[in-house]
Amino acid sequence: MKRMWKHFEDQAPYAYFMDSVRGVGRKSALALLERFGTPENAWRAPEGELLQALGEKRAETWNRQKKGWDVQAEYEKLQRKGIRFLCCLDPAYPERLQEIPDPPFALYVRGSVPEDRLPSVAVIGARRCSAYGRGLAEKMGRALAAAGVQVVSGLALGVDGISQRAAAEQDGLTFGVLGCGVDICYPPSHQTLYDRLCRRGGLLSEYLPGTQPRPELFPPRNRIISGLADAVVVVEARRRSGTLITVDMALEQGREIYCVPGRVTDRLSEGCNGLIGQGAGIVLSVDDLLEKLRAGCGGRPPEKTDAHAGMNAAMKTDAHAGMSVRERTLWELLDYSPVSVQQLYIQAAAGPGMGQLTLQEVMETLLEFTLQGKAENVSGSYYVKKL
Amino acid sequence: MVISRNYGSYCYPADFMLVAAMNPCPCGYYPDLNRCVCTEAEVRRYQGHISGPVLDRIDLCVEAPPLDIRSLGGREEHRSSREMRGRVETARRAQEKRFAGTGYRFNSEIRVRDMQKYCALGPEEERMLEQFTQRQETSARSYHRLLRTARTIADLEESEEIRRTHLAEALCYRVMDTKYRKGNG
Repeated sequence: MKRMWKHFEDQAPYAYFMDSVRGVGRKSALALLERFGTPENAWRAPEGELLQALGEKRAETWNRQKKGWDVQAEYEKLQRKGIRFLCCLDPAYPERLQEIPDPPFALYVRGSVPEDRLPSVAVIGARRCSAYGRGLAEKMGRALAAAGVQVVSGLALGVDGISQRAAAEQDGLTFGVLGCGVDICYPPSHQTLYDRLCRRGGLLSEYLPGTQPRPELFPPRNRIISGLADAVVVVEARRRSGTLITVDMALEQGREIYCVPGRVTDRLSEGCNGLIGQGAGIVLSVDDLLEKLRAGCGGRPPEKTDAHAGMNAAMKTDAHAGMSVRERTLWELLDYSPVSVQQLYIQAAAGPGMGQLTLQEVMETLLEFTLQGKAENVSGSYYVKKL
Repeated sequence: MVISRNYGSYCYPADFMLVAAMNPCPCGYYPDLNRCVCTEAEVRRYQGHISGPVLDRIDLCVEAPPLDIRSLGGREEHRSSREMRGRVETARRAQEKRFAGTGYRFNSEIRVRDMQKYCALGPEEERMLEQFTQRQETSARSYHRLLRTARTIADLEESEEIRRTHLAEALCYRVMDTKYRKGNG
């Protein structure tokens, strides 16, 4: 489908008009181009021919939209908003997206789009993730960015945003695909991350600027997330979740799927464990993931780095070093799912040599863990281990 | 409580103890993600019903985790109300003694200018508090409330100085869910 015009810049304003007509989707747009050659010719097409190409209803919308539409002025308005318009026939349109079964006719971009020649991985997962998922999403984002891999995701709460923020903090390239207009930050609480991606990395959407987020807009955008990536990593997902929709689309697009396994008792890991059961790749550590990506990513392998080596080591090193018996006992009882202070107290006091333990000592130790960044307070008196 | 506006100043009586209870989320199971069915936004909205400034004035936040039914009839040690009453009375006597002739009755009344006098911390405790406030973005108000709470905990333990464990306990009662308050995902 790759076809370019000699003066693409001249065509873009007309392509933008085509995309702005409601009801004219990718199929009709391509049919129009087939018939008229260029977006400009389609714009100038005589009414009779247009009617033939689009059918009565869509031709009517087209004409209504065309009335009062100043092609150049509208396009300039878009550019003044800092939004780049990329039609699927533009040479700058991401190559990976060209390959998927249903590429968007056009993309609206703030910042840049993923580079074709650099490796690119989508990190996705639950919005409400556990401390385990949060920790891993962060490590993944950081390690991928350090290895020169572009991190693509949906800017959503939870795994998406966490991995993207981590990648951005590593000064890596990360791209957010939105389920609303590219000029709208959704969720609003991610404004800082959004601004950051405008400057480095990018934000993309196939929806017209100004489009408010609606539930039905998100599943189609998921195909763009996986479409822009060489491989998809799932950190935590429930059964029957939006994340699994993305996985289905990724499979359709022939992308590799890697999943972080979890315990069989954690609902948040049911999706991942299920996918592994069906044959998805398993992520044993961040290093393991990079190794697998290097083997599986064809022409675009991630760089070898030592930047993340320390982190993997930290995952396994003896966190016990220098801990007192009390601290060690409590550390062992802490988990990646929240445990309450009382629960910890009762369990720890039952341990060997802990008969004299007081609730106050438990609180003191937990506070120390929190201040040292080893543990985190989730909700009032609940604590989790930090990965 | 004195409220001053351009049309005058009013003095309202506002010396009371507030005891309140709430659920952690609409379904009641948060933060057990295996059972909680609320979305993050729902939890945030629910917990947001108590505004930050109000929460800032609550000194002791404790969550009551679900009880295992089997433990209800159990043999676990519990402190009796009589024993607790005894400790509270001891703490009150300590305060009476400390504040004799000052006009204060309780730790909660200690003014900021007298903080140093009654709630002085050792260097180690000082450091711990500093670390905590840096992490938690503590307001000046809650900083002082923390010290008063630690003072009371020390009194309950019949300790002249505020020790590390007393301060730690006071800090633990303050760590409310900042994640949902800030909404940083």
